[in-house]
Amino acid sequence: MDLTPWSIAAPAVGSAFLASLVEVVEAFTIVLAVGTLQGWRPAAFGTVAALGVLGVSIGVLGPLLGLVPLHLLQLVIGVLLLLFGMGWLRKAILRSAGIIPLHDEDAIFASEATQLGKAAGRQHQSLGWIAGLTAFKAVLLEGLEVVFIVIAVGTGRGLLWPASLGALAACIVILAIGVAIHRPLARVPENTLKFGVGTMLSAFGVFWTGEGLGIAWPGQDLALAVFAVLFLAVGLATASVLRRPVMEVLQ
Amino acid sequence: MSIIGDVFTELFAMFLADAWLSLATLLLVAIVSGLVVGLQIEPLLAGGVLLLGCLGILVATASREARCWPRR
Repeated sequence: MDLTPWSIAAPAVGSAFLASLVEVVEAFTIVLAVGTLQGWRPAAFGTVAALGVLGVSIGVLGPLLGLVPLHLLQLVIGVLLLLFGMGWLRKAILRSAGIIPLHDEDAIFASEATQLGKAAGRQHQSLGWIAGLTAFKAVLLEGLEVVFIVIAVGTGRGLLWPASLGALAACIVILAIGVAIHRPLARVPENTLKFGVGTMLSAFGVFWTGEGLGIAWPGQDLALAVFAVLFLAVGLATASVLRRPVMEVLQ
Repeated sequence: MSIIGDVFTELFAMFLADAWLSLATLLLVAIVSGLVVGLQIEPLLAGGVLLLGCLGILVATASREARCWPRR
């Protein structure tokens, strides 16, 4: 039986789980607003429909990617991971440094509730439809990033199922917490998670891009850990240098 | 509410949210490819260029954004 070493499986599954936590929290806020204001039926319908579309995307794209030559696949996925991961890491650095504001789930919940309230005032007939569509769109758009991460970290080494299960576990965790507390998950340390996931995805990006170009990394899969430590150290140092005095941020 | 349009906007934002970061990363990968395939330099050296280049791009684009922010 071909067992994938933990040195590559753990970062892949961990990245899928943590990235999904971030995205599911964001989608949950909007679904909660829809459910609270317009009832749980359209919220559940929109959510299940979007999860179905996302599941089919993984089911179709995953095996199709298996037909692409390995080095080309590693190069393309590696470059996409670099663009995506470094984008997340850059944003996390800027948020950590106080340059751009942190994600505020309470504010997003209030904004979504206001928009749905306005829609309710305009169109009584199709309100359930609009509410369902709002939940569908939120889960679909946030889920796109999850689908990309699951495919990107899972395809190269046949880890599509473990990565998918990592993402599913994140959905279940957030849903369980959300059902229990019944309010936006504003206390989830989203930027810390984003910092960690951005670090891992950037490390994966360098690793796969290099492998795609025929570079044999010393230590093989263990090189991933070294890259991640380097990205984390440089990210934290950059955030520290760019951090502004509190008064300047408040102005 | 155009869902297809929103999906494409989201996909675009996922990979090309910061034009400078995207452009610099793609340029770096092209240079490293040229070093490996064209000039056939030691692959590990090219790997070092890739890794250090990515770290440099990260610092440069974050610093650039930090400098630009007060002017917005």
